[in-house]
Amino acid sequence: MAGIMVRTRFLSVCSFVFLILLMFPERSIGFWEFPPALPPAEHGNIIINRISEKNGVEPVTFSHWIHRLKYTCRVCHFELEFNFQVNTTEITEAANKAGRYCGTSGCHDGKTVFGHDNKKNCNKCHNDDRSYGSDRYAELSAFPKARFGNLVDWGQALDKGLIKPQHYLTIKPRSDAGFGKVLLLEAEWQGIPAAVFSHKLHTEWLDCNNCHPDIFNIKKKTTKHFSMNRILKSEFCGVCHLNVAFPMNDCKRCHPDHPNLKE
Amino acid sequence: MEELMKKTILIIALMFVFAGITIAQTGVKKRRPLPYEYGNVVMNNYSEKAGLAPAEFNHWLHRGIYTCRLCHMDIGFAMKANGSGIKATDNAKGYYCGTCHNGKMLYNKKPIFSACAIKYTQEDKKRCEKCHSAGKDVRKEYDFDVFTEKLPKERFGNGINWEKAEEDGHLKLIDFIEGISIKRVAMKIQPDFILNSKVAGMPAIVFSHKKHTVWNGCEVCHPEIFVGVKKGATKYSMVEIFEGRFCGVCHTKVAFPMTDCQRCHTEPV
Repeated sequence: MAGIMVRTRFLSVCSFVFLILLMFPERSIGFWEFPPALPPAEHGNIIINRISEKNGVEPVTFSHWIHRLKYTCRVCHFELEFNFQVNTTEITEAANKAGRYCGTSGCHDGKTVFGHDNKKNCNKCHNDDRSYGSDRYAELSAFPKARFGNLVDWGQALDKGLIKPQHYLTIKPRSDAGFGKVLLLEAEWQGIPAAVFSHKLHTEWLDCNNCHPDIFNIKKKTTKHFSMNRILKSEFCGVCHLNVAFPMNDCKRCHPDHPNLKE
Repeated sequence: MEELMKKTILIIALMFVFAGITIAQTGVKKRRPLPYEYGNVVMNNYSEKAGLAPAEFNHWLHRGIYTCRLCHMDIGFAMKANGSGIKATDNAKGYYCGTCHNGKMLYNKKPIFSACAIKYTQEDKKRCEKCHSAGKDVRKEYDFDVFTEKLPKERFGNGINWEKAEEDGHLKLIDFIEGISIKRVAMKIQPDFILNSKVAGMPAIVFSHKKHTVWNGCEVCHPEIFVGVKKGATKYSMVEIFEGRFCGVCHTKVAFPMTDCQRCHTEPV
């Protein structure tokens, strides 16, 4: 009798521990896995191959840094409706030629920059070469330095006026002041300073809808879900801050020692 | 002893529920529907049970011809997919889709095909597919690109500025069906008003009654979605709207989506 009792109790304790781990996968013990670091000239370069190879052409190389010199994220990811996940936007040759996506008027329309009208241009994108465009990396040499990613502090480059990316094509943001709230996100671990999130630094590049409500649902008390483990699995901040925006190897960039709160 | 077992099972069951809730919280972008998919509604109350593909309804085609009010008020369609529980016999008797889709009513001088006959031949089955097409590759009578070709364009949703299309006379919306609708003297359109935001720095919303009544009259929104009567009688937040309540009843899946925040939040701070 007592033996069964002990066994039952042992079983329940075991399942309790197991389910606690299941409930809080972000708290489970394990190593953080960062995506492999690419050469600085290739950080943010993506290979798009949704239908290219199926249609007998080479996959496309897209360089984020070449584009962010001239346009903010908002232009392509909001106005032009490019998704945040590679190979999910239904980009087709027909759509580009009809003035959508890459072929939008003012972009790769054959007038502003090379378009879809000349076969000589195909391999400028359809080249399946992640390092394509690296020869232009020297253009970034004068910008403020950062430790990871493109080794460029894009935020500072923008603030100092070293780059003047266009923030809209046709849909002008009506209030340039933007939303100024600064959030202080307490860290999961003791001794780690809180992460400081500035809306303003983000709206300089993005539209509200780029993050809300899909990635951050604006509900109160949901910030507790922003754990490092989930962020490293490309959720929340990790949607951008793994492969395109500055990577999270630079802990102190978000978790500064002395958070300087300014509204 | 048994008590202990029961407790253990209960705790385990509860924890699975909580684990489910934790995992359900996502922090990634959702798939954005393509212009021709936006506002499409799939209805499957009885279709598959009756051996047919679910019915697919295109808002873009119908709103190019009729007001929202006509179907959602005079004909009585619910505002949520599957909310009406439409049966084939309902349609055959001239309710719901069958109000117009009866083989007699004319659009563009052509009779509108009739929906859901009670008796039908093998040949008629092709007609079923005009609506019961979800998941099937059916060539529809109206093509999105052709139908919307001349309409003013904009970003998001259907990629059509429906409001402007109506204003500029591209659309001649039908708001009355003989024998169904009731002719009433139009009410005075209520003035626009400002909805202040709860958060500092967020531009206020300017709500236009005029832009909404063209499509909806008063009765699509009042009193069920917004109590109305007195300003401030209905309290709501962006979270509720994003969840498909209040403005979100229409502006999440059918009317222009809430992608462009500053389309509503227009008042400068």
